[in-house]
Amino acid sequence: MTQAEIKLCSLLLQEHFGEIVDKIGTHLIRTGGQPLRVIVHDTGTSLDQVKKALCVLIQHNLVTYQIHKRGIVEYEAHCSRILRILRYPRYIYTAKTLYSDTGELIVEELLLNGKMTMSAVVKKVADRLTETMEDGKTMDYSEVSSTFGRLADTHFVQRCPFVPDPTDSADAQPPPPAPTLSINEKDMYLVPKLNLIGKGKRRRSSDDDAAGEPKPKRPKQTAESKEPIPDDGIYWQANLDRFHQHFRDQSIVSAVANRMDQTSSEIVRTMLRMSEITTSSCAPFTQPLSSNEIFRSLPVGYNISKQVLDQYLTLLADDPLEFVGKSGDSGGGMYVINLHKALASLAMATLESIVQERFGSRCARIFRLVLRKKHLEQKQVEDFAMIPAKEAKDMLYKLLSENLISLQEIPKTPDHAPSRTFYLYTVNSLSAARMLLRRCYKSIANLIERRQFETKENKRLLEKSQRVEAILASMQATGAEEAQLQEIEEMITAPERQQLESLKRNVNKLDASEIQVDETIFVLESYAESTMKRA
Amino acid sequence: MLLWRGKREGRGPVFLEVEPCDGEKLPRIKVLMAGNRGRGRASFTFNIEAIGFARGEKLPDVVLKPPPLYPDTDYKPVPLKAGEAEEYMLALKQEFRATMRRTPYFMDTEEEKQEIERYSKRYLKSYKDDDLEWVPDWRRLPREMMPRKKHTKGPKCQRAKSTAKVSTLISTVDVLKKIEDLEKKGDEEKSDEETDEKEGGKGKRKDDDGEDDEAADDQEEYDEEEQEEENDYINSYFEDGDDFGAESDDNMDEATY
Repeated sequence: MTQAEIKLCSLLLQEHFGEIVDKIGTHLIRTGGQPLRVIVHDTGTSLDQVKKALCVLIQHNLVTYQIHKRGIVEYEAHCSRILRILRYPRYIYTAKTLYSDTGELIVEELLLNGKMTMSAVVKKVADRLTETMEDGKTMDYSEVSSTFGRLADTHFVQRCPFVPDPTDSADAQPPPPAPTLSINEKDMYLVPKLNLIGKGKRRRSSDDDAAGEPKPKRPKQTAESKEPIPDDGIYWQANLDRFHQHFRDQSIVSAVANRMDQTSSEIVRTMLRMSEITTSSCAPFTQPLSSNEIFRSLPVGYNISKQVLDQYLTLLADDPLEFVGKSGDSGGGMYVINLHKALASLAMATLESIVQERFGSRCARIFRLVLRKKHLEQKQVEDFAMIPAKEAKDMLYKLLSENLISLQEIPKTPDHAPSRTFYLYTVNSLSAARMLLRRCYKSIANLIERRQFETKENKRLLEKSQRVEAILASMQATGAEEAQLQEIEEMITAPERQQLESLKRNVNKLDASEIQVDETIFVLESYAESTMKRA
Repeated sequence: MLLWRGKREGRGPVFLEVEPCDGEKLPRIKVLMAGNRGRGRASFTFNIEAIGFARGEKLPDVVLKPPPLYPDTDYKPVPLKAGEAEEYMLALKQEFRATMRRTPYFMDTEEEKQEIERYSKRYLKSYKDDDLEWVPDWRRLPREMMPRKKHTKGPKCQRAKSTAKVSTLISTVDVLKKIEDLEKKGDEEKSDEETDEKEGGKGKRKDDDGEDDEAADDQEEYDEEEQEEENDYINSYFEDGDDFGAESDDNMDEATY
């Protein structure tokens, strides 16, 4: 865990869970697995607060526990999982594009609560949807359940590991200090057969109602929760790996579309869809698909003949980008998608674009040259890039100082005399990608800090505007005249309004930047992971 | 300043030097040869071009300080992507953050209880959904996570709680009375200081109450006695707690006569 990652995790935890959870989470990331007593002692917080914070973190899958020998339970935080919080909006938006509003709300509820039972999710989502619908219409539970089932079938949500049922033999032994959770591969996406009948309820606004009304509601709520839930103990969580797979597929398809045309991107999309379930997320190649299969699975709207399809496939396979490869000739030609190569090309394209935006197009030319040719001497760089020697030297040294390019010494004699050694410039892709990844984390941390600073600076103004809104709302509810409302609105002067506008603009810009830096992080991280798994 | 020292073929050593930096003229490269100077041309054991600069060429400036903290960038960043998807994701992000703060998972540091309700806090709605107290599924968590009741201080605990409640009520009323008393004396600035101290003192005592029951017991009993002694007469005179604030102004006017 680099310092940049730890700082970013701490900021994310603080924003979403509060100071106490932040302190404990950061401590766990820094020190690794720790038992409860040590955490209490090191962080100096009270036992109750540490317990509550750990419960919250475990609920959201950010911390896991393990039983060690002598019955000590150790808690470990997962830094990479905490960094995923940045990507939550992207997950929710993807669910919206694939499964419309219902899917979006299901995924949002699951991300908000960490893990939930299916019945709880269905109920909450139905209530939320009912509130947005017109008066008189309600959302049926069955519709929400069917969307949930579809999400589970396509592996976007998965079951959490659960406590195995206690058998007779276990009763004889004393219960373990912590339950061991396990799950079978085939059980992970099994939707329990629930008979959820009901409709979403609208929440009555009880702001100004008589005090008597909310009180009878509350005992009713607790009475409802005491009923036995049919799927008690079966918790579901969002399957982030599947979302990542989807993002990766999306970026490959759009890369092919940019390079070639729409039809070839459709073919690649079909191939990827067919291998969604059969290929694991970290495989370097998809399973080989025959041309006949691809022809059969093309979307209905596409009327291309088999010959045209074959031509496209050959074209894709011969492309220097090497996204699609030919692995055999049976069945009209067996084609695979080269996932690792695709991720590497995407990462390198990102690197090149970063060099171009930071140092200029000439530096980018040199960088691309060294990337393609692997190792070059200084003289060769000048010749191939067609850039005058002095400038080329200057740019090479600039890239060298930023650690994007490195020197490789090849001695001619055993005494490594500088006059008799070749010095070759080379790009170490993995280390350059990692360095830029670290820089991305640092920049997001800076963005979050700046946003918090801006909000703190204008805290008084924000509170004032909140207060005015509350007063306005209460006055409108009791029915006030237009003139009075106007008067209240004028409590915020024009320059203050301008200040609020510019604050809002800045905060939006900073937030949008965070989301876009996260896209770069995704590409670079996938590349780094894929390379590590291969090696 | 000596840059490089090499050997000429068959001859003596060669020194490649840079003139010291004057500040006026830029340093240049001089080739000095120890031994046979000036006899014939110099030839080196390596390709001179490989160093990267030729003889007598101008070198760039010498840098005498660390690079600036925020260097000027020649190339400005590309504008952000702006589209429907991006705007929607931005809205989702901000809503998610706001919603997280309202869930029971958000643990804020508890603020000190304010005795007097401040106007600035009056209209800020408290957004915490109080009816969604979250109880984790204890079957999935290690047993040490369950909150354990303290068995050591049973009856004492209850007594401390009840005295704490009573003492806070009394001390709130007491503080308000003290403010009124001191205002009557006409010493406004001084009274503010005193009440601040008293408020701070009372606040501190209340914090101590939460942490250490036993010490608080003794303190509270002492406080109660003190308060009862001092305000015995006034307690019975002013019995209304609710209308206390409203009436105090009127009483003050009467009392100054």
